[in-house]
Amino acid sequence: MRDDFLDRYSRLDSPIHRLPPALKLVSAFALVLAVVLLPPSRPVFLAAVAVVLLVVAALSRIPWPALAWRVILLEPFVLGVAILALFQPGGWRLFVILVARSTLCLLTMVLLSNTTPFADLLRVLKAWRMPALLVTTLSLMYRYLFVLVDEAQRMQRARASRTFAPRRRRAWRTMATVISQLFIRSSERAERIYAAMCARGWR
Amino acid sequence: MHIPDGFLDTKTAVAAGALAAGALGLALRQARAHLPPRRVPLLGLAAAFVFAAQMVNFPVAGGTSGHLIGAVLAAVLLGPSAAVIVISAVLIVQCLMFADGGISALGANIFNMGIIGGVGGWAIYHVVSRAVKGLFGRVLAAAFAAWCSTVIASVACAGELASSHTVRFSVVLPAMAGIHMLIGVGEALITALVLVAIARARPELLQPDEATQPKRSYGAVVAYGGVIALGLALFVSPLASRWPDGLDKTAEALGFKDKTAAPILPAPIPEYEVPGFHWTTLGTSLAGAVGTIVVFVLAWLLARALVPKGAAGPRGVP
Amino acid sequence: MSAAIEVRALRFRYGEGTEALRGVSFSIAQGECVGLIGPNGAGKSTLLLHLNGLLPESLKGEGSVFVDGSPVTADTLHEVRRKVGLLFQDANDQLFCPTVFEDVAFGPQQLGLSEAAIRERVTQALAQAGIPGFEARAPHHLSVGEKRRVCLAGVLACDPSILVLDEPSSSLDPRGRRELKELLRQIPITKLIATHDLELVVELCSRVIVLDEGRVVAQGPTVEVLSDEELMLRHSLEKPHALRHLHPH
Repeated sequence: MRDDFLDRYSRLDSPIHRLPPALKLVSAFALVLAVVLLPPSRPVFLAAVAVVLLVVAALSRIPWPALAWRVILLEPFVLGVAILALFQPGGWRLFVILVARSTLCLLTMVLLSNTTPFADLLRVLKAWRMPALLVTTLSLMYRYLFVLVDEAQRMQRARASRTFAPRRRRAWRTMATVISQLFIRSSERAERIYAAMCARGWR
Repeated sequence: MHIPDGFLDTKTAVAAGALAAGALGLALRQARAHLPPRRVPLLGLAAAFVFAAQMVNFPVAGGTSGHLIGAVLAAVLLGPSAAVIVISAVLIVQCLMFADGGISALGANIFNMGIIGGVGGWAIYHVVSRAVKGLFGRVLAAAFAAWCSTVIASVACAGELASSHTVRFSVVLPAMAGIHMLIGVGEALITALVLVAIARARPELLQPDEATQPKRSYGAVVAYGGVIALGLALFVSPLASRWPDGLDKTAEALGFKDKTAAPILPAPIPEYEVPGFHWTTLGTSLAGAVGTIVVFVLAWLLARALVPKGAAGPRGVP
Repeated sequence: MSAAIEVRALRFRYGEGTEALRGVSFSIAQGECVGLIGPNGAGKSTLLLHLNGLLPESLKGEGSVFVDGSPVTADTLHEVRRKVGLLFQDANDQLFCPTVFEDVAFGPQQLGLSEAAIRERVTQALAQAGIPGFEARAPHHLSVGEKRRVCLAGVLACDPSILVLDEPSSSLDPRGRRELKELLRQIPITKLIATHDLELVVELCSRVIVLDEGRVVAQGPTVEVLSDEELMLRHSLEKPHALRHLHPH
């Protein structure tokens, strides 16, 4: 499978992509905070934020279907919680406001992650004094995410090609085996990475 | 259980963030002090593992599927502090790369899934596996801990949403806790199955490895416990005791409810009650206790099914 | 002039298991390119790990491995690792940073060089490995061959005097193999190549060491050893095609 399925648009070229990552991270965070902190009775402001985001999206040259898809993928979680807000007086209005604000924040973060390679974000966090152990963990996690997801998919595929009659209990046991293998291999890989780090002088 | 942006108010987000930052800081300090260098890459790989494992489909009924969350699994395999770091890393990446979980809610999400899920789950596992020996004991402990921590985390989540006056506690608690009692069953099942599979293939990974679970610093355990207790006290207990009336009054007092808006849909019953039941604090606690005992028994049966009595355990596992 | 690498009667056992290395001895002169061949499980990878002090896990006193005349001990570890650039079999394990630049810069960073010096080393190393301009690329977007080159660059950036490679041509397509061969030919430092690719050995290595079951069963000039069909077959190898027709390639 293509290794870049999670990361396809972060390295395009556009005015937005070229902005410094620290600026994008701060702006995204500031925008989210602004939307979240604002008293709910100002739909004009929300509309203004929406316009800003759409302009950014247009400038970023990310294909609209891709953006829409990413937002839609996460919308159910927003709706799921927002629905609970219906069960109280004034529920509908609250529901609409919640969904609107949350979706705007979603769009902000989707734009951030699709215009900034994670490695750049990590560098910013490191410059902002994030503890070294956490940075290393995030760095290695990002690096090997794709490798592991690929391994997991391959194992699932191999299982599927030898499954002739779907039986749920068997399926659960096999999936558990897949996950256990994933952990064992990750453990072994971590040892090899340690050796590779030492071989290049890690102290 | 990832809370998106816009559902938590400032005070809740900040409080949860402070708790999460404190616990994460503690976990990092513990790891720096006790984790041998050769284990450092394992944290990153384990985080990638948890992420990848969450993508594996476990078919349930009619096209739906379940997924592993993995906090307790991580805690059992790596120890509490490492688990906190690993789960936090997963949540940070999910937030920044996939917008899964709001950035303003990151603190709350880390508190729920990382601290309660990871450390709380580990604590339950530790106590039960001490009491019941052998691989059987560990599987039982892990399954039970997985269910409990999933449910407790969802209660905390409900508390956070309610204390933000976004939803009413009397609505969100049954909804979240109810759903997560079911999800918890899946989590317990998958965690148990995976643990047994690892024990069969590489039992040494399950050993209380001095490297990943170093000499237990009880100071750290107490500190974690304090963080969890504080969080639950802040977000859950005030609501639980004054529920179901308190929230309305608080909301009105804070001017949150817009008194001029006429509800389009007449809210069902203002106090959300299952007809025939009066939810008292005592009633709820009793129900909770009974439910927990039932789950413990189920976990016992599960562990027994996976680790038959007298079956020679894999070499090296007592 | 002392040998680049000298190994004297090296023995090694993994835990309580069987001995992986049973008294291995050989030496490699400065500037030589030597091939290390043998069946799977012969102990090749284990041997290579010793050349960087990664095995045995605790180095006590004087062992049996000498680099540039000095023994590999706990004190000389860092210097040995700088001098001997080890390329692992799985490029994925060795390429562990989120961008190519950071990964190639890893070695120089550990050496404590200045920012400017690091940047220069990275540019040079990438050029030497035939992938200039790859700095901003992400590892998971690269092909196997490209990953191998990044790992090679990462090792070259440490300015080693000896290159030790574990299966460098595995998983490469024919073009990748050809390019690798050219690349290695152009790097003039001492090389030890552990590989199954016997054609590569014929093309690059002047001498060859045959390892089987933890012992050196033969060593000598490449053509001589590899033409000994009976010896090759006895150790689960074979006479390479290049030597079957006696015209120079």
